[in-house]
Formats: sequence, structure tokens, C-alpha cells
Amino acid sequence: MTMPDNPLLSIEGLTVSYGAVEAVRGIDLTVRRGEIVTLLGANGAGKSSTLNALVGLAPRKAKRMEFAGTDLTGLPPETIVRRGMTLVPEGRRVFSSLTVEENLMLGGAKHAARGNPAQVKADMLERFPILAERLHQKAGSLSGGEQQMLAIGRALMSSPDLLLLDEPSLGLAPQVVDRIFDLIGNLRDRGLTILLVEQNVAQSLEIADRGYVLANGRIELQGSAEALRSSPEIQDAYLGA
Amino acid sequence: MDIFLQQLLNALSLGGTYALLALGLAVVFSIIGLINFAHGELMTVTGYAVCFALIWGLPFPLAVIAGLAVAMTAAFLMERVAFRPVRGASGTTLLLTSFAVSAILRVLFQNLISARPIPVAIPASLSGVVTIGPLHLGMIQLISIIVTLAMLLGLNLFLHRTMAGRAMRAAAEDFAVLRLMGLRANSVVATAFAISGLLAGVAGVLWVAQRGSVDPLMGALPVLKAFIAAIIGGLGSLSGAVAGGFLLGFIEVILQAYLPESLLPYRDAFAILLVITVLLFRPQGLLARKTLVKL
Amino acid sequence: MKKSKLLMLSTAFVALASAPLMAEDLVIGLATAQTGGLAPYDQPNLAGLQMKIEEINAAGGIAGKFPIKTIIKDTRSDSAQTAMVAQELVDAGAQLIITPCDADPSIAAGMITQGAGIPAISFCATTPTLPLAVGDYMFSNYPADNVQAAMLAAHAIEAGYKTAYILTSPDTAYTLKLPQYFGQVFTAKGGSVLGEGTFTMGQQDFGAEVTKIAAMDPKPDVIMTSAYEPDFPAFVRQLRGAGVTTPILGSDGIDSPTTFGLGDLVEGVVFSTAGHPTAGSPLEAFNAKWTEKTGAAPDTIYIANGYDLGNIIEAAVTAADSLDPAAIREGIANLENLQGVTGPITYKGTNGMPLRSVSLVRIKAGDRDLVAQGQPDPADIPAP
Repeated sequence: MTMPDNPLLSIEGLTVSYGAVEAVRGIDLTVRRGEIVTLLGANGAGKSSTLNALVGLAPRKAKRMEFAGTDLTGLPPETIVRRGMTLVPEGRRVFSSLTVEENLMLGGAKHAARGNPAQVKADMLERFPILAERLHQKAGSLSGGEQQMLAIGRALMSSPDLLLLDEPSLGLAPQVVDRIFDLIGNLRDRGLTILLVEQNVAQSLEIADRGYVLANGRIELQGSAEALRSSPEIQDAYLGA
Repeated sequence: MDIFLQQLLNALSLGGTYALLALGLAVVFSIIGLINFAHGELMTVTGYAVCFALIWGLPFPLAVIAGLAVAMTAAFLMERVAFRPVRGASGTTLLLTSFAVSAILRVLFQNLISARPIPVAIPASLSGVVTIGPLHLGMIQLISIIVTLAMLLGLNLFLHRTMAGRAMRAAAEDFAVLRLMGLRANSVVATAFAISGLLAGVAGVLWVAQRGSVDPLMGALPVLKAFIAAIIGGLGSLSGAVAGGFLLGFIEVILQAYLPESLLPYRDAFAILLVITVLLFRPQGLLARKTLVKL
Repeated sequence: MKKSKLLMLSTAFVALASAPLMAEDLVIGLATAQTGGLAPYDQPNLAGLQMKIEEINAAGGIAGKFPIKTIIKDTRSDSAQTAMVAQELVDAGAQLIITPCDADPSIAAGMITQGAGIPAISFCATTPTLPLAVGDYMFSNYPADNVQAAMLAAHAIEAGYKTAYILTSPDTAYTLKLPQYFGQVFTAKGGSVLGEGTFTMGQQDFGAEVTKIAAMDPKPDVIMTSAYEPDFPAFVRQLRGAGVTTPILGSDGIDSPTTFGLGDLVEGVVFSTAGHPTAGSPLEAFNAKWTEKTGAAPDTIYIANGYDLGNIIEAAVTAADSLDPAAIREGIANLENLQGVTGPITYKGTNGMPLRSVSLVRIKAGDRDLVAQGQPDPADIPAP
């Protein structure tokens, strides 16, 4: 199933700087098809900056930045998304004054030219029955969990190959968090590749295949999920064992 | 009572023009955070286009269409030439750029066309009076009310029924995330400018139809009024801009109508005072957007 | 970047204009608006003056010995800029300075020229208090507001109007004071002013004001205003649009092609202006000369007015027979009954605002119909 020698995303020496502040200082990162890879680290370690840089929303430099065999250097976000990599941003950022349906339509906007948005939307509503019920409500009127569903659904409307998820469980009730993690597992089972940034380290490492630990914009630790789970650093810093 | 009704109609007509102008500013501001002070020059460009089209022998309706096309093209070019290179820069940079564009255009009009006003041959049929019961309404006033309402309705349909319109609303809320939908930033911004140009063009035609001439500085006052209206409404809010425009028109007309003669010279001061009062209670404007996520 | 290019351009322009000066040249510094709101008035005046200067220089200079050099600088219709430009012109050695067509920048420039002892003449400021605000080195070149108002009021009484409504704008002295002078004279001569409305310049909408006028009871016999472009066309359009047919009196600001382009709307409007080309008049001859030279008939009286400024300068320097600024000032101040193309011009006995004839013109079928011409009864002219 997986093709270890043919990574979907391959990054070397990625730096992100905002003016004089370096948020990410030259990291290497690989995501293979069908994997869930998680990026862990404290607040301000550079996790969100990394995701934003990958889709072109943060100012970035890299020695090499390849996605599905194409060079990402200098591409604007809209082009990167059209190539099949998209981001569900931190804080959900649904278009709150637009209806649920309109949010989904915009998510599928790149299909407008290809001509199958209706099918994608039907699939989506089947997967998220709650969104079908709320189709004509303003997105801003949804609960936090529902908004997160919408944000993920909206991103899936572009039929991505690689989905970047930035803190999907942030600020949600525990049962809702469980449902989000179930959903992520589900998506992987259906063939989607996922790069996940989470503060919920235990649950992330449970679902992920591999992980990276960022500190001060550098990769401090990496390995398989099991290896990380049992590493003393992770135990001490995050799992409180 | 009849006089009051008449004044209400006057307020509707004036406020409508302000609303169109403020909306033109707000459409662009909501998306790229630019207060385009060269918006008034788009009106001037429209005026010259209509004027020269008429001199060239085009019938009035065609001249108006030509004027609107020129306005949209000019807005589009403004974005492409002046504003795209500074997109994402600080608000001050954007503001100064728009002042520079405005100043350059004014000097170009003065040096390449004429410093003096050029008469525009508005058809006599537009000078007529429409009498509805006890109310007299100038043809142009009536047209301006109808056109304003049609424009507002049309824009509303565009924003809610078309993909480009939805994208504009989404861009106003969160431009960065809109790009994650795979929609090109440049085309969304270009659409915003084209709409802004169309709004300025329509307002420009109405403005010129009332004054009968075009001059290089014509856009200065209307853009100021539009700015005030947009501030009252809450910068960046489209419905706020419309509400602000109508409110400003209403305040001005009512003050003009009912201030005692000795205080009339201070009308504008009173109008601004009322605006400040509104802002004291609603510092973000009447219909401020709750969130403003920048690029 | 773009700004600095413009700046360089204008500097280059000035450098060209101020080529090396000859010892016997009369240096005239022109602080005029080439851009901004006053440009429409300064530019035709400048064109007329330049025509006269060319004629003078072609004849070997004033009195055959004083050729004229000009230094022209843009004031951008801004008072502070006008003062700066005036200082530069004084420093450049100008012996006479011409200031823009409005009292405010002329006063700003006058503060400099008065102190430097150099005479200054405004192209066409009409505010009668201008020389009082500056001093004895300040002159203007146009019939003053109070003179125009007196002519208009005399006409109103003669036409049998008993009541008037005046429309003013506090935005400039011209739009505020001229109608008020009119009201004073009209009242003094037995008429009565029923009310005073105001407007904001550049504001297109007269709906509220027009509704008030339409609802007046009793209705005024005549409406007097000094509104000009773009306000006047908008006002007339909306006034007539509301079905109000009351006659309108205006002043020289509406002497423009736009006004005449309004057709039936302005039929019968009477306004004051600086001259009228009656058959055989010097103005008719000037207009013909201008048309021959430029290929187009002059579209405003300001061209002839600028030409007359040249006549004034020529006469004053000839009388002074010297290029000393103080002597030139004396020359201007003592001019009496100089025959200009717009009519006789007198400075002697005035404070610097010339006595000039005013023409009252009625718009008739898109053309001019002379109603009256001359100077008002001095007793009628209100004190500034």
C-alpha cells in the first residue's frame, strides 16, 4: 500500500521568518503516501508556521520543497491547493457570514471548471450528516465541533491528496475531540495522507504512523509513533508519566 | 407634511449617491485593507469618458455605457499598476499610494485635458420634472433613486447568487483562507476593483448629470463624503457603507431644511458633529464587522 | 518616486523660464495656479497676458526700451505654496509680481511682496478688502464684488423686483459677500430680502434648498447668487426641475461655456461680467485678434482681462519710465481712465481695487444680450 521510497511531500532546509524573527530554522520533513504524520512541540515551536509555509501562506525559504513530484518553490497558495495539498487552518476559520452550503461550495470552487462538484458535495454530506442538516444556516451559528467538521469538509471539497490539519481539537469538548480523531483515522483509511499538528500529544501519537518534535524552530526528535511514545523526552514533557 | 416628504425624497436621492460611493470604497477596503482615495478620480474619468463620447457623436445611453466601461477599466488598471505592487503593505503605505494616484491623475487631467470645466451635453429630457401628487421630483433625482436601488439590488444578487460574489464575501472575511479554497487572489482583487469602478462610474454619471460639466478636481468632495459614510457604517462592512451613505444624506438634507437661517453656514460642522456622536456610541461604526483577519 | 519626478520636471521648467536676464529687462514674476481649483481662472488670464507681452516685446519692449521677462511658477492653488512661490520670485529679482485669481492666496503672497516693496497685482481677485488686508503695494485687476453687486441691485430695482432671495456659500469670500452686498444695496434702494440660503461648494445636491425655495410664501421676485461651476448648473437644473421659474441674477463666475451649454434652463438669467463685445468695441476687436491667432474664439472674458493686465503694466511702466518697483507702484496707483479692451480702467483715487465698467448680460437663446454696461452710481457701492 505505502510506497516508502516515493514520498508525497519532501522538504529540506525549510526556514520561515517574519522580519527578523525566525520561526522555523531549517527543518527537513517527509510525508509518505497514506501516512498520518504528526508535528508535536510546545507553543511557539514553529508548528503552525511550518504548515502555513507549506501551503504558501507564510514567507518561506527552502533548499528543496517537493510535493507529488512538483517543485513548490514560489507557488502561491491557490496553485498549491490546486495541486492537491490543502490546509485546515488553526481556529477553523470558516466563513462565518456565509451559509454552510456556501462554505462547501467555495471549498469545491476549483472543481467548478472540472465539473463534478455535485458528486463531491453529496459524498461530503453523507460523511457529515450534521452539515446536511445545517446546510442553510450561517456557518458562524454552528457549534465549535460543527465548525471544525465544516472546516475539514470544506477542505475535502477540493479532493486533496495531502491534508494539513492545524490543531483540529483545539477548544473542543472531550467527546467532540474523540469524534474528530475518529474522523481523521477514517480519512486515512480512505487513502488520504495527513500531516497533523496537535497539542493533544497522546491521542496524536495513537493515531499517527510517525512524528516530529519541534522546539525553537528545529526538529529535536523524530521517529515512529511507538518510538516517540516510549521516548523519555516525550514521556517527561507531554505524557506526564 | 408634503414638504417633509419632499425632503425625505431629497435625502433618499442624495443618500443613494453617497451609498454607491461608500460601497465602492468598502468593496475594496474589505478585501485588501486599502482606502482608495483615488476613487473620486474614477468618477472624473467616467465624466470625461461620457463627455468625449457625446462630443464624438454617440447617443447618450451609449455614452453612459462607454463611461461605465472606462471606469471599470480604469479601476482595473489602477489596481494592476499602482496597488498590486504594494499589496499586503501597511495601511499607511496603501493610503499614501492612493493619495499619490489621485494627485497624479488630477495633474494629468489638468495638463492633458483642461484645467477648466468642460461642459457635458446632458439631454434636455433629463432636466424634466416628475410630479407625484404634491411632490416634485427632478428627473435626475428620480433616476438617481431608481439607479441606486437597482445597483444595490444587483450587487446583492451578485454577492449571494454567483460564485465570484460568494468569493468576494468570503475574501472580505478571511482572504488568506479564501486562497486555500484554490481561488486566485489576483482575480478576486481584480473583481473587487472592477465592481468598485462600476459603482464609481454610476455615481459619476449621476454626479455629472446634475452638474453639467467635468473638471479635474471633481472627485475630491464626493470621495470625502464617501469616506465619511463608510466610516459611519463601519469600514469594510458593505451593508454598513450603504447605511452610512443614506444616513449621511439624510443628516445633510434635514439640517439644510430645518436649521435656522443664522446657523445654516455651519451645516457641515453640525453634520460632522452628528457623525462624531454616532462614532462615540459606536466607535466601530454602525455595522462593524466582528472579525478582521488580514492577509 | 513619481512625486520626485514631478518635482524635477517643474524645477526644470522653472530653470528654463529663468534664463539669464538683461540689464534693462522688466522682470515679472507670475505666481499663478497651473494646477488646482484656481487654474481655470489663472490660465486664461495668463494666456491673455502672454499675448500682450509678446506684442510688447515684438515692439522692442515697453516704451521701446524695457523688454519683459517672465518667471512663471505654479502655486497649485494653495495659499502656503503661493507665499513660498512669491518669496522665490522676489529672490529671483522680480520687479512686479502677479498673484492668483483669488483673495486668499493673493493676501498670502502680498504679505511677502508688501514687505519687499514690490508691487503685486492679482489676476482677477474681486474681494474689495484685498488691498486693505495687504497694503499699498497690492492691486487687483477686476471689478470688485461690491461694484458688481451694486450694478446687479440697480438692475433688479429697475426690472421692478420688490423681493429677493439670496443664496450664499460661506466657503469663499466671493460666494458669501457678493450676494450679501447685493442684499444691502437692494434693501437700501427699497427692495427687501426674504431670506438667505446657503450651500457647500462642490456639493451637487440642492434638493433640500430648492424644496425650501419652492415652498416659500410669498415667493421672491428674484433669486441672486454668486454660485459658479459646478454649483450653479446643479442649482439651476434642480430649481427649474422643481418647477420654480423665479428669475435668477448671477455674477461673473458663471461666465463660462458650461453655463451657456445649459440651454433653456438658463434662458433669461442675467449676470455681471467684466466686458461685452458690442459692435465696434475694443473687446470685439480683441476677440477677433485672438481668434485669428489661436484659431478659436475666446471662451471666457478672463483672456481679455489678462490682456488688459498687460495694458496696465505697459501704461504704469511707461509713466514711471523706470524699472524701480516703487516707481512702478506709483505708476499703477495713478492710472486714470486707461482704455483697456474691456473698458476704461482707473486706479487713481482707489485703494487698489480698480474702477472698471461692469457689463450686465442676459442669456438669450444660448447667446449674450447686453442689459447694461458702465459703472454704478458711487453712492450705491457698499463699503467693503
